[in-house]
Amino acid sequence: MSHATKDRQDTGGRTRGGYLAGIRDVVVLELKQRLRSRGWYIMLAIWFALTGLVTWLTWASWNASQAVQRDYPGYVAPPETGPGSMIFEVVLAFVLLFALLVAPALSANAVNGDRAGGTLAILQVTLLQPGQILWGKFFAAWVAALAFLAASTPFLVIGVALGGMTPGHVLVALLMLAVEVGVVCAIGVGISALAGRPLFSIVVTYLAVAGLAVGTLIAFGLGTGLTHGTVMANQAEYRTYEPLREESQQGPIEPEYTCTGPLQEQSAMRTERVAWLLAMNPYVVVADAIPYKDRSQERNYSSVGAIETISQGARYAMAGPEGTFPCANGEVKPRYLAQSTPLWPLGLGLQLLVAALLMWLGWRALRTPARRLARGTRIA
Amino acid sequence: MAMISELPDGVDGREPGDGITARAVSRSFGAVHAVEHMDFHAPAGQVTALIGPNGAGKTTLLLMLASLLAPDEGSISVGGLDPVRHRAEVRSRLGWMPDTLGVWESLTAREILTQMSRFYRLPAQGIGRRVAELLERVRLDELADQPARVLSRGQQQRLSLARALIHDPSVLLLDEPASGLDPGSRVELRLMLRQLAAEGKAVVVSSHVLSELDEIADGAVFVNKGRTVRQQTTEQAAAAGRRYAVTASDMAALAAKLAGLGVAFRHEDGRRPAISLVLGGDSDAERLLRDLVLAGVGVTSFAPATGALEETYMSLEGERQ
Repeated sequence: MSHATKDRQDTGGRTRGGYLAGIRDVVVLELKQRLRSRGWYIMLAIWFALTGLVTWLTWASWNASQAVQRDYPGYVAPPETGPGSMIFEVVLAFVLLFALLVAPALSANAVNGDRAGGTLAILQVTLLQPGQILWGKFFAAWVAALAFLAASTPFLVIGVALGGMTPGHVLVALLMLAVEVGVVCAIGVGISALAGRPLFSIVVTYLAVAGLAVGTLIAFGLGTGLTHGTVMANQAEYRTYEPLREESQQGPIEPEYTCTGPLQEQSAMRTERVAWLLAMNPYVVVADAIPYKDRSQERNYSSVGAIETISQGARYAMAGPEGTFPCANGEVKPRYLAQSTPLWPLGLGLQLLVAALLMWLGWRALRTPARRLARGTRIA
Repeated sequence: MAMISELPDGVDGREPGDGITARAVSRSFGAVHAVEHMDFHAPAGQVTALIGPNGAGKTTLLLMLASLLAPDEGSISVGGLDPVRHRAEVRSRLGWMPDTLGVWESLTAREILTQMSRFYRLPAQGIGRRVAELLERVRLDELADQPARVLSRGQQQRLSLARALIHDPSVLLLDEPASGLDPGSRVELRLMLRQLAAEGKAVVVSSHVLSELDEIADGAVFVNKGRTVRQQTTEQAAAAGRRYAVTASDMAALAAKLAGLGVAFRHEDGRRPAISLVLGGDSDAERLLRDLVLAGVGVTSFAPATGALEETYMSLEGERQ
């Protein structure tokens, strides 16, 4: 700290250290205020209790269904996986849902709430630069939201403890949840710098989150209808149905069919053109990033979890008919797409693009001396 | 396009590097011309009042002076520096106290001032001492560790002033600093502002409470409808003549004597009967009072009815109508 005197001379810290120190000071200011508001603790407590309740209910219902199955005559016990994977998936889906709901509340009034309270101009008139204020607000909102993830970690760990999952799953899941929450916080902070009123920016941020979580699905569904196309394929001839026997379960299951005849144009949905919409869905990003077993050599899919199903569904859409249509280009298509073609970098990249755009627009709105003001806003 | 200013160019030929100056600044918000070709100068070592009715453009001008708002036209100079090009240098010289208090309510007074020191990049080792010094100066040292939300409005106002002073700025911009203060706090604020001016700072105060400004301000800039309508010192204002109110035990005798002296006067309909008249300056007042007393009129009070600046303000209001 002994070089602080020097810092003052170099025109407000254009050095990297000075810039980061400014961000840190804003984060400290923000967090002090957040940590002293009771609402945040109440929300955190409710969150913890709810996540615990969901975990317990999942566990209890799994136990109950096991008990019913055991009573069923002729029941053959499947290779035991335990309730771990199921608890993990339900808790994960729940935590992501609630994180998406909580993050806008923590971020979307960060800038215009201060503007309404008259404290934003106090910051703007100091040596702080607009970027430092904006980044400071973003990191503070993110840290506040991460506390909620931290509170739900014990329940994700329970998923591991009850079997079926590895600590790696929890780590990857938490990492992706943290990134998703960060994206929502950035969107919220950016919108709050643009919009005049806190209520408006909070609503818009919730709509943006709804757009990501639900809107992408709707857009994908409707968009698929516009992607009628053709694919060159010949006839698939499926193997005749064999009754389930012990030995047939052991052998290789693919190919299920053989391709014969000349290639013909066949109509297909070219889903790969709109799959990017699906990729932007936070659930798809998280589910696709979590590793799962390669099941291409397995026949029994009964224990496939939700995470895996979402990931596979999205990858089918991304692969399009060229990769999934039976006998496209006269080739047998695998029923199971390997993990080697991940979708989440595309989705996350698009999300980050949206967040970065909003942050950049927000930064423009915070520059002083201000040339343009949003309609109806008073700078002080 | 030739710009026609109501004031002569080069605001009184004063040093441009001294205090804070705005030349022909304009700023509009959509169709509303909040400030049009306004000129303003506040010299160092003096308190300059910014006076005008509500909506005259005072706050807009102060926001431009505080480097928060860019003027559409014209230029601003703080100690000879342009706020747009020398952002950091200008800001380390500017202290701004907004009309909205804007206090971080959950932080204590000490924390608020410490945070502000950090935002102004003051040397870390001196911050504690500087904060304690300022808290004492605005008499908040006993409340220093209470959250700001428990402070009264006057205390928050003092905290806001301390916040504007934390980096020892050479130009101080205060938007309505006296609003909501009790009389005792007003006297205190007045003393403090005089002291700050004596330290060589340029102090700009906007206010409607005109009688107060007579005591604080060395000069005043009158604005109305986004334009500078007059710039004068308090002495000039006082010399321009002001209204005095006179009462006597025998009002009829007073009226008769004044009529005899050939002085124009009028009866005021206040709670107590009084006669008011316009006098050119202190010497006129002295002479009239002596004449009245020598004539045996029982004068019970003889005092300026309005402040010198209020007189100018009211005369401008009159011109407007």
